[in-house]
Amino acid sequence: MNGSADGLALPQEFFSGYQRLAHGCDEALGADGAVRPAWAPFAQSFGALTPEEQAQRHERLRRLVAENGVAYDLFAEPGTRQPWAVDLIPIVIGTEEWAHLERGLVQRATLFDLIAKDIYGPQTLLKSGKIPGRLIFSDTAFLHACREAKPAAHLINFFAADLVRDTGGAWRIIDVHAETPAGAGFALANRLLHGQLMGDVFRACHTVRLARFFERLQSEIVQRLERDNPLIALLTPGPRHEDYFSHAYLSRYLGLQLVEGGDLRVIGSRVYMKTLEGLKPIDLIVRCVEGSHCDPLELDPNRFSGPVGLVQALRKNPKLVLNFLGAAVVENRGLAPWLPQIAKQLLGQDLILEDTPRRWLGDLDARVYVFEHAERFVIRPAYEGSGRPGRAEQGILAETLTPQKREALKFDLELNGTAFVAEERHECATVPSWTAEGLKARPFAMRLYVWAVDGEYRVMPGGLAMSVDGTPGVAMSAADGHSRDVWICSEQQAAVPHITLMRPAGVVAEALRTGAVLRSRIADNLYWLGRYGERADWVMRLLRGALTAANDGGSAGTGDGGPRALDLILSKDQQAGAVPGLGSDPRAIEHAVRQLMTAPGRGYSLPGLKSSMLRAGGIVRERLSLEVWQTLLRFSNVVPENHGDAADAAKLLDRLNGGIVTLASFNGLTAENMTRNFGWRFQDMGRRIERAFDLAELLLALFRDKPSAEEETARLFFMLDVADSIITFRQRYLFAPVLPLILDLLVVDESNPRGIGFQLATISEHLWALPQATQHSPHTEEQRIVLDLMTRVRLANVAGLAYPGPDGVRTELQELLGHLIASLPKLSEAITRRYFNLTEDELRRVAARFGQAS
Amino acid sequence: MNFEISHRTIYRYSAPVAQSHHLLHLQPRTHPRQKVLDYSLFIDPLPASKTDLIDDFGNPTTIVAIEQDHTMLTFHSQARADVEAPADFDPAHSPGWNDVAAQLRANLGPETFEAVVYTCPSRFIRPSREVHKFARASFPEGRPLLEAVTDLTSRIHQSFAYQSGSTDAATPVEEALRLKKGVCQDFAHVGIACLRTMGLPARYVSGYLLTRPPEGMPKLVGADASHAWFSVWAAELGWVDFDPTNNLRPKEEHVALAFGRDYHDVSPVSGVLLGGGEHEVEVSVDVNPVEPGQ
Repeated sequence: MNGSADGLALPQEFFSGYQRLAHGCDEALGADGAVRPAWAPFAQSFGALTPEEQAQRHERLRRLVAENGVAYDLFAEPGTRQPWAVDLIPIVIGTEEWAHLERGLVQRATLFDLIAKDIYGPQTLLKSGKIPGRLIFSDTAFLHACREAKPAAHLINFFAADLVRDTGGAWRIIDVHAETPAGAGFALANRLLHGQLMGDVFRACHTVRLARFFERLQSEIVQRLERDNPLIALLTPGPRHEDYFSHAYLSRYLGLQLVEGGDLRVIGSRVYMKTLEGLKPIDLIVRCVEGSHCDPLELDPNRFSGPVGLVQALRKNPKLVLNFLGAAVVENRGLAPWLPQIAKQLLGQDLILEDTPRRWLGDLDARVYVFEHAERFVIRPAYEGSGRPGRAEQGILAETLTPQKREALKFDLELNGTAFVAEERHECATVPSWTAEGLKARPFAMRLYVWAVDGEYRVMPGGLAMSVDGTPGVAMSAADGHSRDVWICSEQQAAVPHITLMRPAGVVAEALRTGAVLRSRIADNLYWLGRYGERADWVMRLLRGALTAANDGGSAGTGDGGPRALDLILSKDQQAGAVPGLGSDPRAIEHAVRQLMTAPGRGYSLPGLKSSMLRAGGIVRERLSLEVWQTLLRFSNVVPENHGDAADAAKLLDRLNGGIVTLASFNGLTAENMTRNFGWRFQDMGRRIERAFDLAELLLALFRDKPSAEEETARLFFMLDVADSIITFRQRYLFAPVLPLILDLLVVDESNPRGIGFQLATISEHLWALPQATQHSPHTEEQRIVLDLMTRVRLANVAGLAYPGPDGVRTELQELLGHLIASLPKLSEAITRRYFNLTEDELRRVAARFGQAS
Repeated sequence: MNFEISHRTIYRYSAPVAQSHHLLHLQPRTHPRQKVLDYSLFIDPLPASKTDLIDDFGNPTTIVAIEQDHTMLTFHSQARADVEAPADFDPAHSPGWNDVAAQLRANLGPETFEAVVYTCPSRFIRPSREVHKFARASFPEGRPLLEAVTDLTSRIHQSFAYQSGSTDAATPVEEALRLKKGVCQDFAHVGIACLRTMGLPARYVSGYLLTRPPEGMPKLVGADASHAWFSVWAAELGWVDFDPTNNLRPKEEHVALAFGRDYHDVSPVSGVLLGGGEHEVEVSVDVNPVEPGQ
């Protein structure tokens, strides 16, 4: 191994096997092959780890990324999820270079802020031709409706720039982001995961921590609001958005309430959040939604990601939203050629950081030039509107087109050139990347963040780097999902104050606390997460029971409980592929079980239930602890789609057992880790209602008609097994089960957590504790339903229930269970109406059109 | 000429609407040939909030929010406007269309700046090859601009059938061009798309026509509802209106409501609702000449 006497490696030795690319510039090694000073501490301390240790860390990092669900696109088709990998080796930047970058970035943010203020204000730059009016007015990010709003201190509060180092060694800006915090959550997540594994190296390199930066940001926000316990929202397009992880992560980190447009309502000039306790006013919105999607009344009429009337609210309170609606207009790549002159005019300065060389194709001369020198240029859209790191669109190489296609492109650009730019192609600097086969040189780009509330701009001391593919136009374009942390390291042994992430200073945390408010939509989805989780557990138990019984080779004593239970599920889910009326053929049973375990998109098949759980879980994710979320993901891995055909019965059983155990730990973790707030009550109520309903249904299916004594015993055993009550029964009784005792245990007894009586008692406890419950008569509808059910169950006489009439039908049992089966859905609807209804209305647009009288 | 305008829009909903926000462009704007002498707006039920502002295109705009359950909503605007006929001129003596387009590209001076935004793509009107193909027949090199636009207007009128219900409020230009039919909104959109494709500034004009024409004159299409046409910027001649639905150059019988890049900017009444179920809308417009001072 490599290492010197003091436990550190020699920097040069660490890079001994590293093949930098022949051309261009490398971050770690200079042109002479010597290790750059900023990288020496990293090479020393990381190089001191054995290759095995490095490999272990690499593997653990990979696992952590997967388990944390970074870039886990909940709604993507299986197989299309963007990969996300974090390299063990960060980008290391020395303090001197960092100071240069900081100056350049603050200058950029300041400049773009001034430009945005002009565009939404007097438009002097446009009128004087310093910026072509056509460039701005063609950009859909420019929002005419927002010109009325008076600007606050900054229009751009969250700014980010993507940079590459060209072959000459200079940093160049390839893209800027002024719409939203542009994937800052990914940068934070990378840092926290990376930090868990590389803490020793991180400290040895005297790397600057992020915590202080965020602390300042939080205190600036609180200062602006001048109010105790302000309600601050982070507006996200929702779990279907590819950046949802970043939004959820950032909101949790900053202590903001994660909301979607549907959670908000504008009344007058104020924005309110819909909660279980009614409407609560919001003080500030951190916007992670594209500007034009924020108000269907005045902006894009087909987008409902923001509350109706937000623009109007903003006119009266321009400080309400960060960033200002429409700020993204400065992201237009076509601005680049005009920036040096504007910087001189507005700031009296030269640009510290230059853009990648670019021409705007709305300009006739530029078009002519670009086609004369086609080999030098990549043609790309001038605006893309997506801040997603790694998702930039690929450009067109005019050079590679056939003459015909080139003419067509020329014509398109004549019509539509305002929407395109041509970029000069250039190579990017490389950085060593850790692989099991040794260090590999990879070209990269990095995104750095510059933020301000009302005060001066500050640069986040870190960032998000990605490998890039330089050929189709340089952008943050990690097709391989390869990302990295960015470390700012001081060569000197400077004292770095130790502040831990995820723990803001007490006073700030106090002021930003919003945990007490529960949004109606969150309550709704917690409730359904509870129901789907319970239903999945129930279905797996039934499948296991049926499969076990069938596998006993149809020997006497197994009964037809299994097939009947399967019939019950299949009758609700006919599409699952099998027809009810299974009979006792073990092969048919196995087939039905396999169908229910693997067919996707069915309401009662395991993949269908899994998707429903993930969807509901994704929406409430910020309410779930990391462990709970990880268990949910683990459960989803136990339930693969379309892989069942090869598995024999034993494998299916193994998988069912695995699924039941994982779900049990999901439920256990929820019970253990969720505070006993309203959210927990809704999730638990979902479970209880589902369990009571499922039990009632199966009891009715198995015991309504009296079969032979032998068959009845077999069904009773089956029932006890799926209701997980065999041990309870055995502890109480030493003889074979008989129906009255089972009914006592599974229906009447309020102390058996697997029985109906227990579920009803628990539901009633929850209902009486909720905000809109009434403690005295007249009770709410849902309270009345549960009182009725509890009373009927308590008064039931088990002997009478088990008594069959002359036709063999147990009418009392049928009546009681039938009533439960009919009433429990009504209970669910009543809860929905009272607590979730604020979320149910759908917004619609109406318009009277021209030339159409009635 | 002085006009009295009455414009009533009634929504009827099958289920109660809990909250509704509406954006209104119902107050006629002023422009060099048009003065607005009087204006009032009646809204039922009473809105919880009502804001009047001038939008980025210079149009009077009203934003209202209604916060009480309602199954019917009425907007009734009444206005008096004085419209002057435009100066007469010979289209053959207007500037060449290439020169106007070049002037816009160069973006010189505050006069052209006002027109620049109307050369740019907008939500309903984006440049396309199909539009270009249709437009270019009217624009041979060097042709005087207004001669070219007069030709374009009559070609649209000839090639398109006016047919209610053949398109809807969100029909894009390409679709209307393919169908070769539509209502005044589509006619105006096609004209604007053609002009922008040639690099010329064109804006959408919403407004009204005289309901009952003077003796001996035919009743124009679109007179019973709000109407739409377009306006082209002709350098020193300023903005010149064309009505492709009726194949004419508006004089004083066209009252302008609002200017915009396309329908979306100037829709007279548009709204977003919570609830409401099915809805029906009923629009009635009445425009009559009055004696000045009456």
